[in-house]
Amino acid sequence: MTEIPVLTAMTFLPLVGAVAILLFRSERTARWIALGMSLATLAVSLPLYRYFDKGSSDLQFVEHAVWLKDWNIAYQMGVDGISLPFIFLAAVLTVLCVSVSWTAVRTRVPEFYAALLLAETAMIGLFAAANLFLFFIFWELMVVPLFLLIGVWGGPARVHAAVKFLLFTLAGSVLMLVAMITLYSEFGTLDFKELVGQKMGIELQGWLFVAFLAAFAVKVPMFPVHTWLPDAHTEAPTAGSVILAGVLLKMGAYGFLRVSLPILPDAVQMFVTPMLVLSVVAIVYGAYVTLMQTDVKRLIAYSSVSHMGFVTLGIFTLNSRGVEGAILQMINHGIISAALFLCVGMIYERTHTREIKDYGGLAKVAPVYSTFLALFCLAAAGFPGLNSFVGEFLIIGGAFETNTWLGGMAVWGVALGTTYLVWLFYRMVMGDVNPGLEGLKLELGVREIATLAPLAFVAVYLGVYPDCVLSYLHETVDALLVAGGTAS
Amino acid sequence: MNAPDLMDLKLVVPEMMLTGAALVLILLARRIRKANVVAAGTVVAAVAAALAAAPIGWVFSGVAATGFSDMIIVDGYSQFFKVLIAAALALTVLLSVKRAPGVVDRATDPDAPGPSADGETGVVNTGPGNDTEDVRPAEYHALLLLASTGMMFAVSALDLLTLYLGLELMTLCSYILVGITVNSSASNEAAIKYFLLGSFASALLLYGISLTYGVTGATGFEAIASAVSGDGAGTDRMIWVAMGLLGAGLAFKVAAFPFHAWAPDAYQGATAPVAAFLAAASKAAGLAALGRVCLVAFEGQSGVLSMGLAGLAGLSIVVGSIMAVSQSDMKRLLAYSSIAHAGYALLGLVSGTPAGATATMTYAFLYVFMTLGAFGVVIALGERGEKLDGYHGLAAQRPGTAALMLLFLLSLTGIPPTAGFAAKFIVILSAVRSGHFALAVLAVLCSVVTAFVYLRVVVLMYMKEPREAAPSRFPVAVGTALALSALVTIIAGIFPDLLAPWAVAPGK
Repeated sequence: MTEIPVLTAMTFLPLVGAVAILLFRSERTARWIALGMSLATLAVSLPLYRYFDKGSSDLQFVEHAVWLKDWNIAYQMGVDGISLPFIFLAAVLTVLCVSVSWTAVRTRVPEFYAALLLAETAMIGLFAAANLFLFFIFWELMVVPLFLLIGVWGGPARVHAAVKFLLFTLAGSVLMLVAMITLYSEFGTLDFKELVGQKMGIELQGWLFVAFLAAFAVKVPMFPVHTWLPDAHTEAPTAGSVILAGVLLKMGAYGFLRVSLPILPDAVQMFVTPMLVLSVVAIVYGAYVTLMQTDVKRLIAYSSVSHMGFVTLGIFTLNSRGVEGAILQMINHGIISAALFLCVGMIYERTHTREIKDYGGLAKVAPVYSTFLALFCLAAAGFPGLNSFVGEFLIIGGAFETNTWLGGMAVWGVALGTTYLVWLFYRMVMGDVNPGLEGLKLELGVREIATLAPLAFVAVYLGVYPDCVLSYLHETVDALLVAGGTAS
Repeated sequence: MNAPDLMDLKLVVPEMMLTGAALVLILLARRIRKANVVAAGTVVAAVAAALAAAPIGWVFSGVAATGFSDMIIVDGYSQFFKVLIAAALALTVLLSVKRAPGVVDRATDPDAPGPSADGETGVVNTGPGNDTEDVRPAEYHALLLLASTGMMFAVSALDLLTLYLGLELMTLCSYILVGITVNSSASNEAAIKYFLLGSFASALLLYGISLTYGVTGATGFEAIASAVSGDGAGTDRMIWVAMGLLGAGLAFKVAAFPFHAWAPDAYQGATAPVAAFLAAASKAAGLAALGRVCLVAFEGQSGVLSMGLAGLAGLSIVVGSIMAVSQSDMKRLLAYSSIAHAGYALLGLVSGTPAGATATMTYAFLYVFMTLGAFGVVIALGERGEKLDGYHGLAAQRPGTAALMLLFLLSLTGIPPTAGFAAKFIVILSAVRSGHFALAVLAVLCSVVTAFVYLRVVVLMYMKEPREAAPSRFPVAVGTALALSALVTIIAGIFPDLLAPWAVAPGK
């Protein structure tokens, strides 16, 4: 263990960067400060992976400081096997977002990077929070920079998308606020560890579960409340889409793992069937809707609905295979959807069109780009040897353990996923060069290759050696399922 | 009754300071021409009053001292609000500098006469480019001081008569303040409406007081409390009527539904600093008075009170939030939002417990600063700030001002880590603790509606192109007031329990 408060440093370094950027107010320095701060954050996180004790399910790198003494709420940070990979994901994706926005964002540059860094603070703080109060604060804090990112630097319908995004998430999170306050008034604490195993009547648990579900389901997003997602992802600037798809969606699923499963085990048992059904509906319905899209960005956005369906399916199988698969799949999806959005953003910067029919024959004019796109499409489709395969395999395995029908539907979802991805790739990359693309310089530059390469590497690495994430999970997931099991 | 003890005067030192300052200003009104001198003097008086109130509040946080034959009480509760009122007064004065009273809005008053001829009356000089000046700075500030004095008496009142006198002093000054720009027809209209409805509410309050006296034979809170808690079965119904009338009168001061109708008109017609003062200070004073009446005088009827207050709170939140959605005038929008916030603040009192009262106190305190901040930005933008359309593209022209507005709006929405979140957390906790789950859920769901209201402003500021030239620089004093409000909004958001030691509920 180190003496340095790693998690606090990681959380607030980006905030310092944001303040510095706003003070300097210069475009050039803003970019460099953002890059420097996001890299520094990533560098600070390195001791986490190195010194993390995989044999323990306890929170590690725990920080504790007196904060709200009268309220019995402390400033508590800590990571376990579940939160650690997400912190890595958030730190990496922010660096890539800074890089991809280098030339794409031309207006109000300082504010853009300040918002991006503020979002990083919120993301890392959320995954490092060891009590519900901090968790909630970062949860809400996350909404503000993303609202601005979508609404200020987004596409033509950005204002509508931004307002829709904010109202949806806020409507969910205010119910979480009431649930949190109820927990607090019942037990006088909001420490995650102390809340686990508290005796609660089934009725209270049920209501609390529903209130938390409102917040988490909107973020995931689960089937009936997913409608904000296509708008927000499509209209957001590339960096915004990456943060949304890469990290924000995971916050909801992380909430299930951190709050619902351990604290409200009886209610989880009660609601498990509807949750599984909604997940499967999201997988299949999401996939069919994705098939119909004609806008590349919207297509990838809808594919997230389907892919996040796998994640919630895995979580609510409530067996270790499914849950581990779900967490792994969240990381995978974070990497792949971020990569796909980056790819789309890079090509959009050149062509200024998102319609699939305006593309075609990219392989002939942009071979490197096409290779990356091929790799990420295959990874998203769950091609063996690439990262999604393992996650989906585990989830489907877990689903079959729970119910054969569920497993069958999930497999059907995978088949549909392969269809829309291959078809997308076919229409964009194969065939003759679209005449509209003549004369454009479509091939990637060095900075862009450097942005995509780490993700490509991780996608392959996790496909070949998934244990590098799974090894962090085993103990924590076992402990989580035991906590849920014994209390019920 | 004993003869008044001269030593009792030490209980009303802050009030005497403010009254003294007001009298000096009125006496010297013809001599003082410089608005800045008056403003500085008023700020000094307000700060002095706050300093005089604060240590007493500290010392008395456990024990209370009464005086003037139990008409006045000085305890932690009263001093908490006195400091708050003094702070709101000081900030309002800072916000009033230069631009404040007297800039006739050309849009609302096309017939405003040209530059006024009466140069000898010591008018505010707002620099080149401004037309008619018709507000005498000494009178304006004297009225603010007297209104604050009334509020301080009201929060210290331990007798319905003192309470009434304090509130009336406050309201009478407010009527004049709303109509102080005599050449503006909008302002006159607002003042008349406010005056008519206000007199009606005062009558209700007075009627409630007399009925209470009729039933209990007392006007002192403690005497009422002992009479009410007894088993006077036959008188119960009548005491409910009395409570209803009292509640209506006080709800008017707080601008809670259904006694809110004056607020949007009055705020819109008044100058922005006056509107800010009404929204912040007079609401806080009303809440304080209501809190003491509920918790001390009518504690024995807490069941009925709780129901009534729950209704007031819930309806205020719903109506305030929904009505704010369609507003296009910024002061009107903030008026409806202040109605919703009155409802949130009342959530604390619904529980009828001391803990609930402290929740309301905290809410009132934090609300004062965020609402003064939001009004402050309106003032800082001058004419442009009064219309919602004026916010188009503000972030591109004045990023700092826009960021401040964003902060205050986020705080009013209740997004952490701002004071508004802390305030909302505390009152909803209080509602949940007393078992009002439905009310709590209603309140948070309406906060999504209010979020939409504030969001419109943010959207205009950040996501639209500017339509007008950048607003001129605002005076340093306004900047100071904005900075102070922002500071409180942020610090109280990060350390929401800082106020806890001072927020002492009224006891018997």
